[in-house]
Amino acid sequence: MSFFGGNGMQSQQAINPQNIAMAEQELEMVTDLFNRIVDSCYTKCISKEYAQNDLTQGESVCIDRCVAKFFDVNTKVGEKMQQMGQQNMPK
Amino acid sequence: MDFSRYNQAEQAQINAMIEHKQMKDFLRLYSNLVQRCFDDCANDFTTKSITGKEEACINKCADKFLKHSERVGARFAELSQQMAPQ
Repeated sequence: MSFFGGNGMQSQQAINPQNIAMAEQELEMVTDLFNRIVDSCYTKCISKEYAQNDLTQGESVCIDRCVAKFFDVNTKVGEKMQQMGQQNMPK
Repeated sequence: MDFSRYNQAEQAQINAMIEHKQMKDFLRLYSNLVQRCFDDCANDFTTKSITGKEEACINKCADKFLKHSERVGARFAELSQQMAPQ
């Protein structure tokens, strides 16, 4: 249901489906990144012995560092891929 | 994730989409957590019912994972903001 605003109905705005698709893709990417970080950092930081209900100090610190490292790796890999993309660009 | 560059009608649709995805994600979290705690804790098959030890384990497992997820969320939000200041 989209209207172009030229027919006197002021409150109707055009919905560009491409914009919605772009927003959806961005959201998917961010959600996927978040879920991966949760899973990886859980494996790396939390022991399966489950000694207590709360996170220990060590686990908390590990999680902080893990998330930061993951972001750094994300950035570095992105740069690398960009480099490679440029190299493969035809003259 | 800043959607203010879109018009109001688009933002409304995007918000509806976000809500839908959040619900899907919540259900996914639930079933993942069940699987995780089962895999880690339910190891005594000499009996059909959950033993006291298993129940304690499951409690801690669920608690730990949810707290972990919360902490990751907090750091994630901080770092995302740092990296993409608008």
